[in-house]
Amino acid sequence: MNWNLFLTELVSGVTHGSVYALIALGYSMVYGILKLLNFAHGDIYMVGSFIGFGLITVFGGAEALSTSIWLLLFLMFFCAMLGGGLLGVLIERFAYRRLRNAPRIAPLITALGVSFFLENAALLVLGAQYQSYDTFAWKGGELWRKGFTLPAGVHVALAQIIVVVGAVVLMVLLTLFVQRTQLGKAMRATSFDREAAAMMGIDVDRVIVATFFIGSALAGAAGVFNGLAYQQVWPYMGFQAGLYAFIAAVVGGIGNLPGAVVGGLVIGLGQAFSIGYVSSTFSDAIVFAILIVVMVVRPSGVLGRAAVQKV
Amino acid sequence: MFRRVGLVAIVAVAATLAIVASAAARPASPATASASCSSPVQIGMMAPITGPVSSIGDDQLHWALFAVSQWNANKANKVKLKIVQGDTQLQASLASTVAQQFASNGSIMGVIGPAGSDEVQAVAPILKKAGLAFASGSATRVSLTSGSDKGYFFRDVPNDGVQGPTDAAYMTSKLGVKSGDTVMIVDDQESYSTGLADIVGPALQAKGVTVDRESVSQKATDFSALVAKITSSVKVVFLPFQVASEAQLFAQQAQAQGKTAVVFGSDGTFDSKNFTAGNYVSFFAPDVTTIAADNAVVTAFNKKFPGGTSPFGAPNYVLAQMYGAAATKACTAEKGKITRAALRNAFAKVSLPTTILGTPVKFSATGDLAGAKFHIFKIVNGKYETVQ
Repeated sequence: MNWNLFLTELVSGVTHGSVYALIALGYSMVYGILKLLNFAHGDIYMVGSFIGFGLITVFGGAEALSTSIWLLLFLMFFCAMLGGGLLGVLIERFAYRRLRNAPRIAPLITALGVSFFLENAALLVLGAQYQSYDTFAWKGGELWRKGFTLPAGVHVALAQIIVVVGAVVLMVLLTLFVQRTQLGKAMRATSFDREAAAMMGIDVDRVIVATFFIGSALAGAAGVFNGLAYQQVWPYMGFQAGLYAFIAAVVGGIGNLPGAVVGGLVIGLGQAFSIGYVSSTFSDAIVFAILIVVMVVRPSGVLGRAAVQKV
Repeated sequence: MFRRVGLVAIVAVAATLAIVASAAARPASPATASASCSSPVQIGMMAPITGPVSSIGDDQLHWALFAVSQWNANKANKVKLKIVQGDTQLQASLASTVAQQFASNGSIMGVIGPAGSDEVQAVAPILKKAGLAFASGSATRVSLTSGSDKGYFFRDVPNDGVQGPTDAAYMTSKLGVKSGDTVMIVDDQESYSTGLADIVGPALQAKGVTVDRESVSQKATDFSALVAKITSSVKVVFLPFQVASEAQLFAQQAQAQGKTAVVFGSDGTFDSKNFTAGNYVSFFAPDVTTIAADNAVVTAFNKKFPGGTSPFGAPNYVLAQMYGAAATKACTAEKGKITRAALRNAFAKVSLPTTILGTPVKFSATGDLAGAKFHIFKIVNGKYETVQ
C-alpha cells in the first residue's frame, strides 16, 4: 500500500471537497426553501473570488503584499462574504421574487439567465484574462512552506489547512445558526411548509432574503478558498464549480444541509482517488457515475429523505 | 369572404416575389472581391487579444502592427498595408465568428492567424470558401498542412512533427532520461495538446522509456491529485498545455509536494511572465532579443510597444512582411488592383532570404516553413535561457 499516494489524495480530496461543500450548502439552502435550483450560485462564487483578488491588488499584489497575510485573509473573507451575500439578495429581489408562485420552469430559466448575465458582466468589467492569487508568492510562499507533515512524508500546507478548517468552521456556524437561533428555526419551518410558516406569523420574505444572503456569503467564501488553494480566477470559473457543487448537493440530498457537506466530500474524494488510482482521463466520468449510482440506489440522496405526499 | 381570400392571395404572392427578388440580388461573392492598390491593402489579424493567453495575442498583434508601420514608413514600398484586428480569445467558436466577419468584408485580402491549432481547424472551411489566405505564426499541429487547405493555409513556424522528436531527443540526450525511466505526459484534452502528446510518447517509448499518459481539462486548477502520482521513477513531466498559467499551477503544486521531476513545457506554455516555475520549455522560434543582428529592430519595437516581448511575436512580424511583399507582387501583376486569389498565389511564393528569426523564410509545397527547427529554453530564476 502506497501510503504517500493515499494520504496525498485524501488531503487533495478533502480540500477540494470542502470548497464544493460550501457552494453546495447554498444550493441546498435555497432549494430547501424555494424549491429553486439557483444556477447563478456558481457565479456568486466567481464574484467572491474576484473580490478576494481585488483586495490582493489593493494591498500591493502577490509579490509585494503591504500587510500581514492574516489581516489580508480576514479582509478577503469578510468582503467576499459580504459582497456575495448582498449580490445574492439583489438577485433574489429582482430576478426571483416575482416568480415564487410561477411554474417551476420560469425561475429555473431565470436562474440560467442570471448566470449568463453575471458571467458576461464580469467579462465586460474585469476582462477575459485569467488572474491569479499567486499565493506561492505571498511573503515568500509562507502559506505553502508552513504546515505539518503526515505519516509517509505527506506535507499538508497551511493554505490547505486554512481551506479545510475555514470550511468546517463556516459549516459548524451555519448548523448552530439553523438549530439554535430564531431565524434558523424560521428557516426550517419555511422549508418544511412555506404557507403554514406564513400562517404562523413568520415573515417568509425575510426568511428567504436571509437564506439567499447566507447561502451566497458561503459561496463568496468558497471563491476565496478556491483562490487560496488553486490560484486562478476567471469569469467562467463558476460554471464548472457550480456544476460539481450541484452534483454534490444532489448526491447528499438536495435541501439537506449535512447532506450537502457529505456530497461535497464524496465528490472531492471521488475526483482525487479516481485520478490517483484509476486515471485522470476518467475522473469526470467517475464523478458522474457516482451521481448516477446514488440516484438509482437512493434517489433522495445519501442523507435526503423521500418526500411524503398526502393524497 | 372572397375579398378576404383575394387579399390574402395578393399578399402571399407579393411576399413570394419579394423573397425571390432578394435571393436573386446577391452581392458579389467575397471570394471574388477586389480592392484598389492605391488604398492600403487590408490584412485581417486573428489573435487571442483577451482571454487566458492574452499576453501571447498582444505580442503577436504588436509585432504585426510594428511590421506594418515599418513597411508603410518605407517609401520604397508603394503598396501600403493596414491591419484589421479580430479577437479570438483562443476559442474556436469565437475564431469562427471573427473568420465570418473577415470573410464577408470584401476589403480584407488576407489573414494573419489564428494562433491556435483548434482555431485553425475551425476557421479553415470559412476562410477557404472566402478565398482568403491565412497564415499562422504559432499553430503547430501537424495535420493542419496535411493537404486539404493547401494553397490557403501557411505557417512560418515548424510543426509538432518537429517539436515532438526534438523534445523527446532532448529529454533522452540532455536530461538523462534512459531506458526504464518514466516520463509523465499530461495533455489538456485539446487537439494541439493530444496531438503533440501522441508524437512525444511513441518517440520516448521507442527508446525504452515508460510513458505515463495523463489527461486534465484545460480549465483545471487543482493538479494535486495528479501530482501525487509523480514517483521517484518519473524523471520528466511533459506538459503540452496551451495555457501557460496552467503549466505554472502544475509546476507550483509539484514543488509544494516536494516533487523533483523536471517539468518540461511545450511551446504553448512559453510565457516568461506566466510560466516560471517549470524547468524547460520548447519553442518554435528563437528569442530575437538575443540575436545581435536584430538589436535595432528590437529596440525600435520596444520603443513603440514598451512592456517587453516574447518569441511568440516575431513570426507575425515576418508574416506581415511576407504579406507586404506578396501584395506588391500581386498589385504589379494585376496592374493596380488586388484580389484575394492574386494575393494568395503571390504569398505562397514569397521568399525572404533574411529575417529577424535568424533564418530565411519560405513555404514548402504544403504551406509549412521549409527547413524549420525547434528551440529549447531552460528556465533559470524565472528567466528563459536558450540551450538549444
